[in-house]
Amino acid sequence: MVQIYNDYKDHADFLTVYVREAHPTDEWQMKSNVKEDVCYAQPKTLAQRVAIANDFIKRFNYPIAFGIDDIDNAANDAYSAWPERFYIIDESGRIAYRGGMGPFHYNPDEVRGWLAGRYGEVKHDPPPTPTGASATSALLPTERTPGTD
Amino acid sequence: MSLFWKWAIGIFLVLLLAVFLLLCKMAGSPKDAYGMVRYALPHMHRGTLKVGDDAPDARLLALDGANHFHIRERTGARPLVVIFGSYT
Repeated sequence: MVQIYNDYKDHADFLTVYVREAHPTDEWQMKSNVKEDVCYAQPKTLAQRVAIANDFIKRFNYPIAFGIDDIDNAANDAYSAWPERFYIIDESGRIAYRGGMGPFHYNPDEVRGWLAGRYGEVKHDPPPTPTGASATSALLPTERTPGTD
Repeated sequence: MSLFWKWAIGIFLVLLLAVFLLLCKMAGSPKDAYGMVRYALPHMHRGTLKVGDDAPDARLLALDGANHFHIRERTGARPLVVIFGSYT
């Protein structure tokens, strides 16, 4: 997703909305979370959400604008976002693209396709095989190692 | 119950167990397999928003933990790509 942002940031705005955790330690924690040292309980306060969000930004040097959903999950409920989903809102304030629900229907390529349809395709050489810590986070789906979900 | 139905139920249960064990192997554990199946269930695909609908507004908190802004404040001049997700 960061690559898509870098490719199209001159044409579109991007906003990441951090919603309630998908795999917290006190709910359904995945083995990959333990492996990648991404272990957090479901935040019960806004301050806890802010702390986790800042951990994420710092760890991955995440460049995309960031907003944190209130503890009453208003944004999550309005957009049926959990655990992860893409939307594109056009200039008139209408939904121009509504992505499928993650993880199975969460597809960054569809976002790229929409942007490419408007602003042209941006091609890249295939990325090198990732090494070291990679994001299991839903916020960086293109950097996931297969099988870590 | 007739012998035929007993066998049919028995074979069905064995197949169900085999599928579950396969899912457990693929997902990593029974807990993960259960979680994956939950994601696939129809009730999880909730939400009524459609392309063409007005985008709902919501108040968000900035990373500084002090300032707020609204999603709709970021729309207007250019398309806005909204990425919903979490860390785990």
